[in-house]
Amino acid sequence: MSSRRDLLLDLWRGAGAAASGGTFLVLHRALRGAALRPRETALDAGAVAEAAGAGGGVLGDLWVAGSADAPVAFSLACTHLGCRVAPAAGGGFLCPCHQSRYDRQGNPVQGPARHSLARVPLERRGASWIARMP
Amino acid sequence: MDRADAVAGDLAGRRLPSGSFGRIAFGFLAVSVLSGAALVPFYSPSRAFEDLERIEGGLPWGFFLRALHTWSSGGVLVATVLHLVQVLKGRTERQLAAGVWWRSVGLLPLGIGALLGGFVLRGDAGAVAALSIWRRILEAVPFGGTEIACFTLGSVPGDLAAAALHHAGTFTILLWLLTAEHGARLVPDLRSAVFAALVSIGLAGALPVALGAHPGTASTHLLLGPWYLLGLQGALVDLQVATGWAAPLGLVLLLGAVRHAEGRWRTGLVALAGACAAAYLLFTVRLLLLSRG
Repeated sequence: MSSRRDLLLDLWRGAGAAASGGTFLVLHRALRGAALRPRETALDAGAVAEAAGAGGGVLGDLWVAGSADAPVAFSLACTHLGCRVAPAAGGGFLCPCHQSRYDRQGNPVQGPARHSLARVPLERRGASWIARMP
Repeated sequence: MDRADAVAGDLAGRRLPSGSFGRIAFGFLAVSVLSGAALVPFYSPSRAFEDLERIEGGLPWGFFLRALHTWSSGGVLVATVLHLVQVLKGRTERQLAAGVWWRSVGLLPLGIGALLGGFVLRGDAGAVAALSIWRRILEAVPFGGTEIACFTLGSVPGDLAAAALHHAGTFTILLWLLTAEHGARLVPDLRSAVFAALVSIGLAGALPVALGAHPGTASTHLLLGPWYLLGLQGALVDLQVATGWAAPLGLVLLLGAVRHAEGRWRTGLVALAGACAAAYLLFTVRLLLLSRG
């Protein structure tokens, strides 16, 4: 037979569980709202033209190639775990964290990375190219 | 006799030092916390690398203080692992209540989290990479990985504010509280603290910690993470990203379960933990060989 003390104890536990659940829900909502969103980065059109003219070049966190009028950019973040890849001596890219290799087009050729480097759309706005970073 | 001493007492009555490594770990933790607190006024997560340069080059004894913090933090991990090995070897884990044992096992990932937090606060090229990997691994946790990543590392990629808060606050406070509960004392004993301080001072004087590469540096050479995570870095060359959270979680559950197993089951679990440690060592060696080309 349960006593008044047991009942109070059960109520106390229930209140604790409800408070924990409520806290979790509030935290979940707050953090879900703070989830990462794509960000925009402005690239100087002159620098983009220079990089494209040189057959490709690093601008911030991007590799920019193609032509001055129609540049192509992709992210230098390795698709394995996000380390910054570096242009390799013989062309292509190499990740310094887990040795993933990519070809000139950003396609994986060796190592743990399974996906191509992310293409970043560029949009011309005045004297700049706007990149929407993933 | 405190609980740490009770653990130290072998079943056969021999004065085992299984508790002594625990006490030394607490001593290292005290040195680490004090040296870290001394560094706080000279460090801001928003200009991490620049502040590290200033601490190393512009602050009198700054290089020594930083090395003291680094070596004493490493000492916490090494002494904790040695303590765990001796407890398992001496079969003394049952002298702790089940809840205390599970919380004590949690000290291991908590300690590694604190150390990794310190590593990413360097703000150099290796730290930037480690921060990115840490985030990706957390995001790979099913059901709430994104939230865990946001809570642990903040919502802005590359921002060190959340990591700094958890390194100096959450992780350190929890480490101290759980260590205090485990050892049944609020502060380390004087002898262990002095021993840990002397070892840390000796190492800091003999082996100062070098500054890493500038965060903007692009390198095709293998970038090595913190020494205690090289095995995980090596494993991630071949295994799936989920290994990053599943392996530590599995190890914690394995070590926790040892407290409840008997006879062959216990032997099997301890052997499995040993095999995991051996595999980790092999992955570390393999990565080091890979880094030499």
